[in-house]
Formats: sequence, structure tokens, C-alpha cells
Amino acid sequence: MKIIKYILFFANIFLLTCGGIFILKEVNNAAMKLLLTFIILSLGLVNLCSYFYFRRRFINFSDDICNYTQNIMNGVSIQSLQNKETLTSKIIMELEKMNSIVKFKFDENKKEKKEIQEMVSEITHQIKTPVSNIKMYCGMLSDEDIIQEQSVQFVDVIKKQLVKLEFLLDTLIKSSRLETDMINLEPADNRIIETLAVAVNDIIHKAGHKNIEISVDCRSSIRVYHDMKWTAEAIGNILDNAVKYTPENGKIHISVNTGEMYTEIKIRDTGKGIETAHINDIFKRFYREKSVSKIEGLGLGLYLARHIITLQKGYISVHSVQGKGSCFSVCLPNRF
Amino acid sequence: MNILCANNVKKYYGTEPVLVKALDGVTLEIEQGSFTAIVGTSGSGKSTLLNMLGGLDNPTSGSIVVDGQELNGMGRNELTIFRRRKIGFIFQNYNLIPNLSIYDNIVLPVELDGRKADDKYITSIVKTLGLEDKLYRKPNKLSGGQQQRAAIARALATKPAIILADEPTGNLDSHTSQEVIGLLQATSKSFHQTVVMITHDNEIAQLADRTIRIEDGRIAESRW
Repeated sequence: MKIIKYILFFANIFLLTCGGIFILKEVNNAAMKLLLTFIILSLGLVNLCSYFYFRRRFINFSDDICNYTQNIMNGVSIQSLQNKETLTSKIIMELEKMNSIVKFKFDENKKEKKEIQEMVSEITHQIKTPVSNIKMYCGMLSDEDIIQEQSVQFVDVIKKQLVKLEFLLDTLIKSSRLETDMINLEPADNRIIETLAVAVNDIIHKAGHKNIEISVDCRSSIRVYHDMKWTAEAIGNILDNAVKYTPENGKIHISVNTGEMYTEIKIRDTGKGIETAHINDIFKRFYREKSVSKIEGLGLGLYLARHIITLQKGYISVHSVQGKGSCFSVCLPNRF
Repeated sequence: MNILCANNVKKYYGTEPVLVKALDGVTLEIEQGSFTAIVGTSGSGKSTLLNMLGGLDNPTSGSIVVDGQELNGMGRNELTIFRRRKIGFIFQNYNLIPNLSIYDNIVLPVELDGRKADDKYITSIVKTLGLEDKLYRKPNKLSGGQQQRAAIARALATKPAIILADEPTGNLDSHTSQEVIGLLQATSKSFHQTVVMITHDNEIAQLADRTIRIEDGRIAESRW
């Protein structure tokens, strides 16, 4: 930019000098000479003035923008500049829009951080109890004069406490994944059936315990641009839920359809279903339906699932009939 | 924060013996960043309300405040610019301009404002909407569903703070409808946009944060 400024300046001088030389050498009439010199000089002057004039305006403009930006930063909306056909108005309105988006994201992050902190402190607090229990029973076990029967009982208690500890640690790991940085998506053009295989493999053992049949209907040629590991985690969480809330001898059916914009992975179970009033709540963090408070869980699985899918520009929707079962649709965009 | 406020809005057509009350005292507040569905039978005043909220029509009485600005007090020019910069409209009958290509239709609101289209963003919405190979065709060469998607892309092009959609899925099959709503939700999340949508489809209304039912020009039910 600077170079252009100098080039323009010197070109101006050069042209003026050329004009001057031309007049002095070629024009003989004195009056004509005077007139032409006057014209050329005034041209130069106009040039110079317009340079300073536009420079001034430009500086004023940027000063204005700076001032208004300060105002916006202080949360003051500039009413006088709304909806005008001027450049300043256009910039100000864009800045205000940006400000509101950034503010929203900031608030959201703050809320999220607080929730995670609360949960982590709660879990760590809960971890204390089983640890001290284990410690206590271990101490009692090492006592020499306990009878065989008692020691079996103690070992049983310790086992139970360990299961609880394992669950808590598991939740802690899951919640650490909620920190967005932890989810490092590496999307690639993968076959969806492989992702499903990973997810189903993780759950098949659990389903076997309750004699739940899992069937998958997916053409092996369907490819979607997605991250295999995390998508499998998301689908795994949904399956985990399905297994949890489906009574024994139930069925879970997974089917895959390709649409024009999205590929849909449908997970249908024959479980207890979700109350219509709570259908939007199930994806909220830490949401647990009151009637299921006996079943273990912290209400993170579905939240995490939706989070992962949303990061990949997809979405999850649910249909459910209470008492008959739920159907989760995981939709991933065909093109990333 | 409430981005849309309607205060006792009335819209009457005609005079006494044949007075039609399209809206008869509607008061509502819509929170920024929310996804609202308006349902109701045809002729109940849904579209009239949406047009009022978007500044396309003037109420007979009552006030509408959008993003802190009173619409009644605005001049015609001001209102035009306001709509262009703040609101994305998806019309039921698409309102695509027939002699412009799909691409030109989509970037029109941006170019009307004398700006350059954010090509990266446009490409990404066009891609998710599955329109990338239709960009240089004229609207009448596209199916109803494709035209509707083009209309959606146009509404999103300026990244408006508010998206008002009048039956955006009226001409789409149930599967594509779900997809389109999914897209609307995804973009509104990332740009903190407020979406108000008229729909007949109960399943789609379920996906919204809030449902407002309108009957005979009044709010009959508002459920979160």
C-alpha cells in the first residue's frame, strides 16, 4: 500500500512537470501560457486536496468504527446507526451480531464448566465412601481371629464396593470427554457397518445377560464421512441405554437408510419407552427420569452421544411410545 | 433475553359487518436462540403472525419489538434494511426469482446489502442441502423439494439473527423434512439464531423447544 502511495505521488509530480515543460517550450502566447500554467497548478492543488480530504474521511471512518466497537464491547447498542444504508451501519450491525454470538458462546462455556466442576467434585466425593469401606474391611480381614464365614462375607462386600468404584471411575472418564478438546474428530470416508460392529461388540455381552436380541440391517456398501471411534462411542451409548431400559428377552434392531442429505441409523428397542413430556430432556446433561432412579447411571451417555453427533454436523431425533419402546435416529450428513 | 416481543397485536381486515379478525390480541415473547414451532389449523392466523414478526405486514394495533427495535416506528426503507440484515424468511411458496440461477438466488440477500457472499459458508450449506449440482439451474427446472431447500439456503445465507419459516417442510417427504429441520437446528445452534417455524406436522413440532398453538387469532396454548 505504501509503495502505491509513493508511486501515485511521484506520477503526479512527473505529470505536472511534463505539463510545465510543455507549456514553457511549445506555447508562445503569453496569456495562453499564464492560463495553462494556472490550470496545471490548480489541477495539482485539487489532487493534493482530494488526497488529504479522503485521507481525513478514511481516518474519521475508522475512528468511528473504533469508537462504536468500544461501545459494543461495553454492551451499548448504537440505535442511531441501525438499518441505515451506510457502510458504518453495515459494519456496526455485523459487529453487534458477532458480539451477541460470542457472548452467547462465552456464557454457554461458563455454564458448562461450572456443571462439569460440580459433577467432578460430586463424583470424587462419592469415591471416598467405597475406598474407606474397602480399607475398613481389608483391616478386618487381616485380623487373625475371624472365622471363615465372616471372611467370605467381607470379601463379598469388598467386591461390591469395587464394582461401585469402577462405575464411578467410568463416569469420571466419560465426563472428562465432555471437555470439547478431548473429542478430537478425525472424520474419514468409512463404512458405516464397521462403526456399527464396534459399537455392537461392546454391548453384546451386556445384552446377552438379559437375553436381548440385537439385529443389524445395513448394506455393507454404505459409506459416510464420519469419525469411526467417536461415532461408535455415541451409538454405543445409545445402545447401552437401550439395553438398560429394555426388559429381558427384548429386541433391539438397528437399521441404516441413506437419504438425500443425511444417512440415518435407526436404533429401535422394545423397552419401556420415554414419556412424551420428557422426550426433549433425555439429551440434557445429568437428566435422569424419576422412574429409573434405581438403574445405575448419571445421565451423561445420551448427552455425550448428541454432542459427538452434533460436532459432526448431524443430529439425533427420538420417537417413543411409552410401554412399547423407543426409536433413536442418528443422522449423519452424507457430505461433511 | 427476548429477541421477539409481540404486545397485544391485532390485525383486522374489512369493516364492521364483515370484519375479519386474523389476529385478535396476541402477546408473546420469544427467547434468543430458541427454536419455536407455531401450530394451528389453516386460517387460524399463523402466517399473519409470522409476517408481523418479520415486519412484512403492519398490525392494526399493538406493538412488535424485534431485537430491541420497535417495528412500528420504522420507515419503509429502514424496515427493508432491517429485514435484510436481521431476518431470514423461508416462504411457503419459496418465492425464488425465476430468472436467476439457484446460486444467484441464494446469494441475492447478501449482494442486495452490497456485500460479498461468504463463499465457504455458502458452499457448506449448499452441500448439506444437497444442491451443489443444481446451482446453475433455474428454479423452474427443480423439483418442489429442491426449490424449498434452495429457499432455505437463501434464508441462511446472511446468517440472520432470526429465521422465520412458514411451513419450511410443507413440500418435503417426512424423511427429508426431518433432515431439513435437523439442518435448521444445527445452523441455529452454531450462529445462535432464533428460529420460529410454522408447521402442520406434529412430529416436527415435537423437535422444537417450544410449541405455540394458535386458534382463531389467539394463542390457545404455549408449551415448553
